[in-house]
Amino acid sequence: MPLKHAKWITGTISLLLVFPVAVGLIGTLLPAFAYFPPLGEYNLSFTPWYNLFAQGEFYASLKLTLITGIAAPLLALWFALSLLAWGYQRPFFQKIEALLSPILAIPHAAIAIGLLFLLSPSGWLVRLFSPWLTGFDRPPNWITVQDPYGVSLILALVIKEMPYLLFVMLATMRSIKARESLQVGQALGYSRFTLWRKVLIPQLYPIIRLPIFIVVAFSLTVVDLALVIGPNTPSTLAVTLLRWFNDPDLSMRLMASAGAISLMLIIVAVLAGWEVAHLSFSKLSRAERSNGKRFGLTDNLLRLGVVLGLLALLNAFVALALLPIWSLTRRWRFPDALPSQWTWDNIERATPLLMDLTLNTLTIALIATLMACVISLVMLETKRHSSKVSSLSKPHVFDWLIYVPILLPQIGFLFGLHVLLIYLNLNGDLCAIIALHLMYVLPYVYLTLKGPYLAYQEEYLLQANRLNHRPWRNYLVVKIAMLKPAIFTAFAIGFSVSIAQYLPTLIAGEGRYSTLTTEAVAQAASGDRKQVGSMAMLQAFFPIMVFWLAQFIPPRWTRWRLVLKNLFSRRNTSCSV
Amino acid sequence: MRKSFVAASIAATLALSSLPTLATSTQNNASQQSWQDTLQQAKGQTVYFNAWGGADNINDYIQWAADRIQEEYDVTLKQVKLTDTSDAVNRVLAEKAAGKNNNGSIDLIWLNGENFRAMKDNNLLFGPFSQSLPNYMTYVDENARQSLTQDFGTPVDGMESPWGMAQVIFMYDTATLSNPPKSIADLLTYAKAHPGRITYPEPPQFLGSTFLKQALYELTPYRKALAQPADSVDFDKITAPLWAYLDQLHKVAWRNGQTFPSSSEEMMRLLDDQEIDVALSFDISAASVQIDKGNLPDSVRSYVFTNGTIGNTHFLAIPYNSGAKAGAQVVANFMLSPEAQIKKQTPTIWGDLSVLSYAKLPASEQAKFDALPRGIATLSIEELGQTLPEPHSSWVGALEAEWRKRYAQ
Repeated sequence: MPLKHAKWITGTISLLLVFPVAVGLIGTLLPAFAYFPPLGEYNLSFTPWYNLFAQGEFYASLKLTLITGIAAPLLALWFALSLLAWGYQRPFFQKIEALLSPILAIPHAAIAIGLLFLLSPSGWLVRLFSPWLTGFDRPPNWITVQDPYGVSLILALVIKEMPYLLFVMLATMRSIKARESLQVGQALGYSRFTLWRKVLIPQLYPIIRLPIFIVVAFSLTVVDLALVIGPNTPSTLAVTLLRWFNDPDLSMRLMASAGAISLMLIIVAVLAGWEVAHLSFSKLSRAERSNGKRFGLTDNLLRLGVVLGLLALLNAFVALALLPIWSLTRRWRFPDALPSQWTWDNIERATPLLMDLTLNTLTIALIATLMACVISLVMLETKRHSSKVSSLSKPHVFDWLIYVPILLPQIGFLFGLHVLLIYLNLNGDLCAIIALHLMYVLPYVYLTLKGPYLAYQEEYLLQANRLNHRPWRNYLVVKIAMLKPAIFTAFAIGFSVSIAQYLPTLIAGEGRYSTLTTEAVAQAASGDRKQVGSMAMLQAFFPIMVFWLAQFIPPRWTRWRLVLKNLFSRRNTSCSV
Repeated sequence: MRKSFVAASIAATLALSSLPTLATSTQNNASQQSWQDTLQQAKGQTVYFNAWGGADNINDYIQWAADRIQEEYDVTLKQVKLTDTSDAVNRVLAEKAAGKNNNGSIDLIWLNGENFRAMKDNNLLFGPFSQSLPNYMTYVDENARQSLTQDFGTPVDGMESPWGMAQVIFMYDTATLSNPPKSIADLLTYAKAHPGRITYPEPPQFLGSTFLKQALYELTPYRKALAQPADSVDFDKITAPLWAYLDQLHKVAWRNGQTFPSSSEEMMRLLDDQEIDVALSFDISAASVQIDKGNLPDSVRSYVFTNGTIGNTHFLAIPYNSGAKAGAQVVANFMLSPEAQIKKQTPTIWGDLSVLSYAKLPASEQAKFDALPRGIATLSIEELGQTLPEPHSSWVGALEAEWRKRYAQ
């Protein structure tokens, strides 16, 4: 991109990134120190913190948050790497790749509800084996979901995060020249897993570090998943905070703000710990990696990861397959493995809403994601420009700023931002919703695009400009065209992020604009599986479409373009004749 | 605009006090006049009605009301579906924080209890208005139930308009259970005999808190103290029997008291799944409605405890910064009409109890109430028996905090 005024652009975008975040942060920070005019609190003090630290539930929730928030991304990363190492470039794996997108696209709450039905004591697994094998006429009194250690929550998180990591990894494969390395390595006699472990994963990790951080922050702060499938006595810190924020006793908000601030600090601490752990791990394993052995015992770790990863995927698919069945169900009691009475009523009832919700959802998602793609390209190009002299891997100011919206827990931060929207008289406005969505979509798009974009061989563009100096045109038809797969992937991820937004839509839209997601979560609150089944199906449809298109279009683009071009040029010639 | 409300409320207060007949009739004329003004102002307004949106049948009912109000009063009613009413309270608070004192985003809220107290105490409400609504003056008898003037012990003072009444009911499946436990003590006996089949929603979900209040009411020897603020009495002494009871119950409860259902809807699902034997609801026709939708077997029936269950009234309130206060009053008034209340009490529609005084209704409307069908699993007013009053609203917070301290850490 023939950018001018790179510094000026950097400044403007940085300001735009920082401003809403800063306002939201101040709106959380001040109440945390007991400054909150609407409640008549004008004196700064540490009282909210004393109250917070006196709450036993804070410590119990914190412990649970740390267990689930660290275990889930670790497992997700392990499984994702194993699956990639096992299946990369094998024909059947491409089928699995195509199946990943539904899981990525479907909103968290729907997956959690599906899992809940699959795994609970009255769930489908037990039904499948009852009563002929288990002898249960009634569900057993087991604790298989919402267990106090959060195992079911971790499973749900892994199911949600592993496909995201896999998706991101696959998008970066070309830039680390995975195929070439594999060919060379296998020619040298390395086993597939050893090769991945010793050569490819160490190259891959720095590129996907940012998505991993996002996953960690997500695990630590997720609300909707934890509400549905997480334990509730105590719940995770984010859910506990949400309850405090929503407490009718409005002074609880002060303590909740202090809690939100501490949750942010906890995220920073966990990420720092994660980095330290990674550094020491790669130091310790350096000798092993370069010892020249073609096989290794630790390869088995990857093998185990493959099995567990596939099991998790299988769980997800069964859970997702069960949801549509519910939407056609009239009666389905324990221990029936399938409904005893079917009906179209559930879907019929949902239909009138559909048009309205779909229109809102698509308008918001398409505008926000397109904007995010354009802004990301400008940002990345600016970054490339300004770091031309120094090394590309040197972090640019964007690389820090972009984290902020996704690392801050939504609950604490959006309330402060809502006050800003009201000042600007933008509350309840479609523009406000799109802006807030953009704030959450942009980081995902930027981070997904960053690796491939910066790894692009600039020589192609230089060569094109030498042949024919039309910088804008060449940027579009050479560089953007070559980056198509990455841009489409980023678009699909951004789109599904937008579709899944719940709190931002609700807070900016003040409930005046409903989307498929706000409606589905409102329905999920009633625990009615039939309603949720219908809603989740509708909600999943569009992201799945976009993901599918993101994989379907790029390889065929050029062929179609040429066909069209030939068609038109032939027509033109025939006309002129 | 504000002047006419002041006039209306003064007129209404005067009209309701026992002045000589002549004076009352002139005041009535005045209030009729100002109600005409309100109707005029309301024309063309859009009322954003923030109401819990977790139940389809209630949403459908609100949509029906919206259509009726549109054709009769030219007021557009839009439901903003909430998952938690306190979201709306928070939103008004955020608007106040931002100094948005006009044209706020919420025009009408469905609430009661703690949310009402929070809004009233923080001056987030418009009013008083309810006592000057024509249908309120004509059909509501404030002496009929304490909960019409005392919302969980907080004086209503005309700051919210009654919409419906609720009472705790229990549900069980006659196919698996013949003799359901009919008191808090029986419930424990039953749970000990059938481990894992009894539970209650997790406080601070309102039905969970209500279960605590019901249990406290039956277990404590100091019932009278519950009408006073919780911090003005010896909380530990009064609630000691409750915690002793729950300690025993949780050991034999569903999932060993490690987790609790999140709502009445989840309890009904668990009842249908046969994970539990008894479900609770605050909606007397819940069982009939869910049987009709295929969510419960048709052998499920409702019942109440022998010595009565807790009941309360739910209300509609207008935030102080609403931009459609006239329209909101028109909606609140329509909701109090016999037409709307009869429709609402129809079991297949919603089944929520009317707040109107039967005696004050004309004979034709009385006949319509008499003719209302009841679902197969809905109790009649007589069967519902005695309604226990809600304790002072400060008990909710105190019981919830203590419960979480004991069982959620």
